[in-house]
Amino acid sequence: MSDIRHALLRRDPLSAAKEVLYHLDISLGSALQSAPGPTPGLDKSTVDLVEEFIFQVSKDRSVQRKRMSCVQELQLLEIMCSYFQEQSKDAIRQVIFSALFGLQGNKADESRMSVLGKLVSMAVAVCRVPILDCAATWLQRTHSAWCVRLARVLVDDYCMLVPCSISTLQNICSASPRFCCQLISAVTALYDLSSDELTPPPALLEMVVGWITEDPRLLLLTFINTPLTSSLPIGCLEVTPLMGLLRWCVKAPLAYQRGRKSTVTNGHVDTEKVGECEELYSKLHLSVLQVFLMLQVHLTEQNLLGRLAVLQAESVAVLVEEVSRLVDELNPLHAANEIQLALDRLAQALQVAMATGALLCTREDLRTLCSRLPHNNLLQLVMSGPVVQPPPHSGPFQPSLYPYIHPARPSPLSPHATHQAALSSPHAAHPALSPLPTHPALSPHRSLTPHTAHSPLPPHTFHPAAMAFPYRPIR
Amino acid sequence: MSAQGDCDFLVKRARELVTEDPWAAKAWLITARTLYPTDFGIQYEMYIIERNAERTTSAGRLLYDIFINFPDQPVVWREITVITAALRNDNQDKHAQFLKGVFETLPGPVQCQMLLKATEQCFNTLEKAEMLLLLLKRFPESVVQHGVSLGESLLEAENVEDLDTPVNCFRKLFVCDVLPLIINNMEMRLPASLLHKYMHKAAEFYIGYVTRGPCTDPQLQGPQEVAGLKSPGIGRGQRFVIEGLSEKSSVVTEPWERLLEIVGVVGARCEWQGEKGSRTYTELLQRVKELCRYLPGLEGETLSRCCGQIVTCSTLVLFRSAHFYVSTVQPSLFQNHNSLGSTPWVLVEDLSSVFNDVEVERSSGKHAHKKRKLADGREKTMSSDDEDALGKGRGRHILVNKTEMPGWAETLEHFRTARESWDLLHSHDALESEFNKICLAWKTESWLWFRIFLTDMIMYQGQYRKALSSLVQMSALQPQQSQNSLTAASNLEMHRALIQQASCHYALGEHRLACEKLLEVVSGLVPQNQEPTKSSEEQGRVRNKPRKGNDLRLVPCTSKDILPFCLQLMLACFKLRAFADGGRDDLALGHVIVLLQHDWPQGEALFLKAVDKICDHGSFQYENFFNYVTNIDMLEEFAYLRTTEGGRVQLELLPNQGMLIKQDSSHAFVSSLFTKHTHYNIFCLHSFRHHTVTRGITKGVKEDFRLAMERQVSRCGENLLSVLHRFCINEKIILVQSLP
Repeated sequence: MSDIRHALLRRDPLSAAKEVLYHLDISLGSALQSAPGPTPGLDKSTVDLVEEFIFQVSKDRSVQRKRMSCVQELQLLEIMCSYFQEQSKDAIRQVIFSALFGLQGNKADESRMSVLGKLVSMAVAVCRVPILDCAATWLQRTHSAWCVRLARVLVDDYCMLVPCSISTLQNICSASPRFCCQLISAVTALYDLSSDELTPPPALLEMVVGWITEDPRLLLLTFINTPLTSSLPIGCLEVTPLMGLLRWCVKAPLAYQRGRKSTVTNGHVDTEKVGECEELYSKLHLSVLQVFLMLQVHLTEQNLLGRLAVLQAESVAVLVEEVSRLVDELNPLHAANEIQLALDRLAQALQVAMATGALLCTREDLRTLCSRLPHNNLLQLVMSGPVVQPPPHSGPFQPSLYPYIHPARPSPLSPHATHQAALSSPHAAHPALSPLPTHPALSPHRSLTPHTAHSPLPPHTFHPAAMAFPYRPIR
Repeated sequence: MSAQGDCDFLVKRARELVTEDPWAAKAWLITARTLYPTDFGIQYEMYIIERNAERTTSAGRLLYDIFINFPDQPVVWREITVITAALRNDNQDKHAQFLKGVFETLPGPVQCQMLLKATEQCFNTLEKAEMLLLLLKRFPESVVQHGVSLGESLLEAENVEDLDTPVNCFRKLFVCDVLPLIINNMEMRLPASLLHKYMHKAAEFYIGYVTRGPCTDPQLQGPQEVAGLKSPGIGRGQRFVIEGLSEKSSVVTEPWERLLEIVGVVGARCEWQGEKGSRTYTELLQRVKELCRYLPGLEGETLSRCCGQIVTCSTLVLFRSAHFYVSTVQPSLFQNHNSLGSTPWVLVEDLSSVFNDVEVERSSGKHAHKKRKLADGREKTMSSDDEDALGKGRGRHILVNKTEMPGWAETLEHFRTARESWDLLHSHDALESEFNKICLAWKTESWLWFRIFLTDMIMYQGQYRKALSSLVQMSALQPQQSQNSLTAASNLEMHRALIQQASCHYALGEHRLACEKLLEVVSGLVPQNQEPTKSSEEQGRVRNKPRKGNDLRLVPCTSKDILPFCLQLMLACFKLRAFADGGRDDLALGHVIVLLQHDWPQGEALFLKAVDKICDHGSFQYENFFNYVTNIDMLEEFAYLRTTEGGRVQLELLPNQGMLIKQDSSHAFVSSLFTKHTHYNIFCLHSFRHHTVTRGITKGVKEDFRLAMERQVSRCGENLLSVLHRFCINEKIILVQSLP
């Protein structure tokens, strides 16, 4: 290996980087072909070569190597771009991408992130679907802190730097919906409305709402395509952007009110912009509720209803806590309408999430959770639950009967024949009306025991063991 | 709080928000529905929001839910009624389109269920049928169950309502919509008798539709009517509405083609001989003509099946061709004729040989006819009006001015095909009785247009006695259709019958009756300015192909064409008498000379023959001579007759009462005429200063004649047709009386 290194050291930085890329392709590609099952890991020396010659992290303090110029860096990005574009094998692409950009918990990670940000930004600009798809997977398997950084690069490039370029980002939704789904998760993690700076820029908001209203199923894309058995690394983004978006919708009226307060003291308020954003949040909120309804259909089809918490109760608790803190910050007299709007949305989301099986918790839990919040009629109604009435002629609302609106999509989650017996009660379809006796409300979906009993085929043949816990604390 | 209270609260919040923030309103309702999934109010509100915003997919989705979950809610039923009504009618407005779209989003079984339930709620037969039709069209499998019963209910409704025309809404629906579904459904096994019945119902409808009269409802007449056409009195609106249907659904495109399709399918299903699906009407006729030859050898069921096929096919071909023929001959009878430039035509005896020598005609005409009669003696005597066997149908020609009737070949071909079908239908007793049954059922006796065809056909067959009675029947049908026909043109159409009567009487040798009818016609005509070049050119062409004298001619039914025909016919009547062997009838000869002026010099030969006859007799008395003879050649000839060289013929031509004739602008013309004729200098004796001359004033008979001649020459420029028209009107009594 050191032979290769010595040979590379003699080359100019760009051709050395190209050589490493070529070397990676050969060695990983052949390894993948000879053993198609578990994905081959990377040996230490290869990782070192990548870090030294592609990310320019010097191993040997004694050797002062010539660094790549900006032009050469751009050329390298172009080479990577065309490499991923031309590599026809999805599995090899994935392996190479994680070999390059999988975080190693060392000092090269910063450089990695920097190159990744530039590469993805370039891929967006020239619409390189293979790279975006790889980036989507990366966003799924990487700690949210890194994901947020990538999101920020893209938001800076496309929303802040050149305001008009947002349409470029907007348009990639049809090209790589998976990437967009993950990007939404990342930007909602980035902009959590905890401060004015962390309020989503209007252009970003508009783009996200545009994507979702175009096709709300986008929000469930990662969820539907993720095998239940695949253990996701700790600290990674949530499997759907639903919680993040819900945070936006619920907190937005309060955050804008808070923002208004600070801008009033600063002097100017752009009321038109605020009005536009209000409308966008209202649309977004409706979409989130509609996605819950779709989720119910999917969960019912997969016999997962009541067994899989798509919305984590802990996250809900955090949101409730944040709302409560924001309410405290605002003067209830001046912000009564905003507070009621936020609580209406919260109550609606909680109710619909519970009813559709996205959130597994009882009304009792809810009462405890929301006890600190100010009074709101709807929230009250949701906490106490509907007045039980004798069931009339027809059964509970069953959206799954309708074949045309929600066509069954092939899903990697099937088959689940063994679950049939577990869900014998017809009321199980409606947890809001009759909660299950045993409540796996607080269990994350990956720990569901029945799924370990059998092993459905994962959608991606690539699933490196080395990537299972790629994140190590940055030293 | 009660459940209803909760629901009301939730719906109320949604309603408050819907205009300002429709997304929030929907979010409220989605939440509400998860709380109270069985509450109708919440879901209905959701539907209403989507419906009002005209969002097809989501409205359809919600309608589906409420239809499934709340099938007994009256509000749902009201909504379904509105939607199915939009489906039924052809309203193109945006909301109707939206409602149709909503229906389209529903799954098939739900559509089916909705339509069936909506049908149950209809009490009006027509609506119910339209609703059921929607069902049958969408779900062909339901045709087996509902098709025939729907058809029968429509036919029954038609009976119950006692409608006087087959072109009614029930029949239209049956024929155009239900019947194709029934006969094209291969799952259905229907008895041949039923299929025949249905096919005849369809034929009756399509024929009735095609031959419907112009609508007389002023409200429905097209705007172009108001613009003031030549004959605004005749309802010629292009729009047509079947009572109970919209204007759009009253339209039947390509009726004959549709009918042919039905015949093709029914024929195939009834296993007709040689039926390989419909092709053309000509082929239909061709096939049954062949089939007819085997008829005598058949019996029992095969015979009746064959008869069914022959009668059906020939009947349809007969009516179709007859309709095409009549729509050219009398276009104003029908709805869709082009009111501009479509003149009616009348079929009459061809008289282009009227100027031929009497002798030639006699020998060729009568003789040829006798011979033919002998030859035909053994053939079936279907045209044996014995006394008038003037020209039997075979081989008669129908002449027509080809430039004036552009589709002449087609028209004549249709006339021929119709006659052929008629003959076929009367070639066998079994066929004839079947055909008569159809005629009785369809009340063809009351079809004026068909009577017109029949009359022409009978005339063509040479059965003039029968034709005359047919014309009487026609006039019985006439009044109710021509109520509002008051103009000259439509009068002429009414005179069609008279013209044909005259023609028939002439053909029968009943010259006096012929003249009576003719003179009645002439009194209704307005003489036009002569267009000598055109008419003589046509005549010239005809003369080049001499006919045997028993041809027929289609003449445009206009004053311009009818007056010449009348004059020819009169000439034909008088000619025989005037030149009768042995006898002497100066009056008839005088009439002939007057009439020969028309189309001069066609009648030159005949005129010379008349002059010969006068010379033979040595004298000639015709007191109307100077009233009606203005032809310069004739005047010259007569002037010459008086001279020594001419044979000093005794001419008594002066009218028994003086005629005051004003001379005016014709001076110049006359003098120019004289310069051309200077060699007959007898005329140039005097100037034309004497404007009025009367016999009583004196210088003797000779002077009177001379003056009369002078005066007459000056009349050469008068409109000849006016002169002859006046002749017909003024001398009507003498004319009629001078014929036997």
